Amino acid sequence: MSSVTVIPLHDRERAAAERASIDGSCRGPVLYFTASALFWLLAGSILAIIASAKLHSPYFLTGIPELTFGRVRMAHLQAVSIGWTSMVTMGGSVWMMCRLCRTELIYPKLLYVSATLWNIGTLLSVGGILLGDGQSVEWLDAPPYAPPFFVAGLGIVSAWVAATFRRRREKHVYVTQWYILAALFWFPWLYTVAVFMIFWSPATGVVQPIVNWWFNHNFLGLWLTPVAVGTAYYLIPKIIGRPIHSYYLSITGFWALALFYSWAGMHHLIGGPIPAWLSTASTVGSMMMFIPVIAVGINHHMTMRNHFHRLKYSPALRFTVFGAITYTWVSFQGSIESLKDFSEVAHFTHYTVAHAHLGAYGFVTMIFFGLYYYMIPRLTGREWSSSTLIRIHFWCASVGITIYFVSLSIGGWWQGRMLNNPDVSFGNITRYLLPYLFSRTVAGILLTIGHIAFATSFVMNLAGWGKKRTGGPTFFVEKVA
Amino acid sequence: MNAANVAMFAVVIGSIVVFGTATILALGWAFRNGQFDNFDQGAASIFGPDEPVGEPTDAFPK
Repeated sequence: MSSVTVIPLHDRERAAAERASIDGSCRGPVLYFTASALFWLLAGSILAIIASAKLHSPYFLTGIPELTFGRVRMAHLQAVSIGWTSMVTMGGSVWMMCRLCRTELIYPKLLYVSATLWNIGTLLSVGGILLGDGQSVEWLDAPPYAPPFFVAGLGIVSAWVAATFRRRREKHVYVTQWYILAALFWFPWLYTVAVFMIFWSPATGVVQPIVNWWFNHNFLGLWLTPVAVGTAYYLIPKIIGRPIHSYYLSITGFWALALFYSWAGMHHLIGGPIPAWLSTASTVGSMMMFIPVIAVGINHHMTMRNHFHRLKYSPALRFTVFGAITYTWVSFQGSIESLKDFSEVAHFTHYTVAHAHLGAYGFVTMIFFGLYYYMIPRLTGREWSSSTLIRIHFWCASVGITIYFVSLSIGGWWQGRMLNNPDVSFGNITRYLLPYLFSRTVAGILLTIGHIAFATSFVMNLAGWGKKRTGGPTFFVEKVA
Repeated sequence: MNAANVAMFAVVIGSIVVFGTATILALGWAFRNGQFDNFDQGAASIFGPDEPVGEPTDAFPK
């Protein structure tokens, strides 16, 4: 048990009032971002189930052009990547930055404009794809009229986070701030350059897929990963009341990620018609990613050491630790997948799909769920109203993503082995995959049930159904014996 | 070399220069500003009198 220093009551009250004032300053915009994100998560979940079902039941919802597999799958990707994860990334970044800088948010109304622009962009993107305006560039499949809304919305958020940082009262720059500042510096550049070089002033030939996969991989690596890892670095120590095990290691991990992650995208084009040195350099970069991943993994594990029992009591910690553990696993797996021998089998199969979902859901989304469970009550002033709904959400999400990952990894691996064998017909491979694809739909339904429970909790909290704390502005303090 | 290729090279080279410079400046600023001087203090900077080290801050609602 950690020793607890006795703190004068007036100091405690003053600090609590300051924290409440900071939370209050960003309440409106952050709730707008997070509520919008949740809407897109639900929309993306429904699209995902439709797309998944079509893979094993091809006559499901036929005759409706808007719901053909190609469109629904692209719309799902836009809804969850641009709508869900990106909006949480922005909302969460604003909140954490204000707290870590110990400063109120200035001109919060402009962030409403930003969130509205982003929502319009996402609506145009998802709706446009379903109506047939999608572009055949993976991850950048939004119709050409959507990106200006994203660029404008993102520009405002980046400027606001930078302005908050400049007004900071806390002089030390915590590791989470490094991650957030970097993500909001990298991503606008990443997105604008990719859109510029693929659509606005198209590069010719093989340069296009190179830019495409440089963007796709870095969407996860330089946008979602930094904010999700930064969130874990904030939430885990705060929730258990214990500083990070090694702050030195956390800073080393950040700079190693900054140096090596952006190399890794070309491993998606191994075996493709690109210069061999490019994919080899990318494999080297992927291997170097062991450094930041091991640094983060050791740090999170050692910080949690002797505190794992708290997973029983804290919903936010439960989701965050699940995501943090998955980060280590999915990153190790990603590095191994970049090896050419491994790629010969796993590439262009469902194995890659399983890996992508483990990263985007098991790691990023689970940490973002943890962020909601910690952040929302502090913004609304109300506790979550139902433990049961939280438990349903956690078990549906964790069991769902496990089924998804295991079934598609096994099915995808054997799919790759069979595709490399000229004696096996394509029809037999398709039939072999059916039970694995069916498992994916079951997993998707489980995940969606969890999302509905989560959305219900969220709406109940916003509606004021949760118990209001009367003990001051610090919520959920577990009494230490 | 056509205009599209010139634009592409300008973007790539410009990005390398801008991001390389930004990284060096950020690291230089952090060292000069003493951000890496005291890691223990840095790790504890997220705690305060209302949420001190040793007090957990989250639990399932009762």
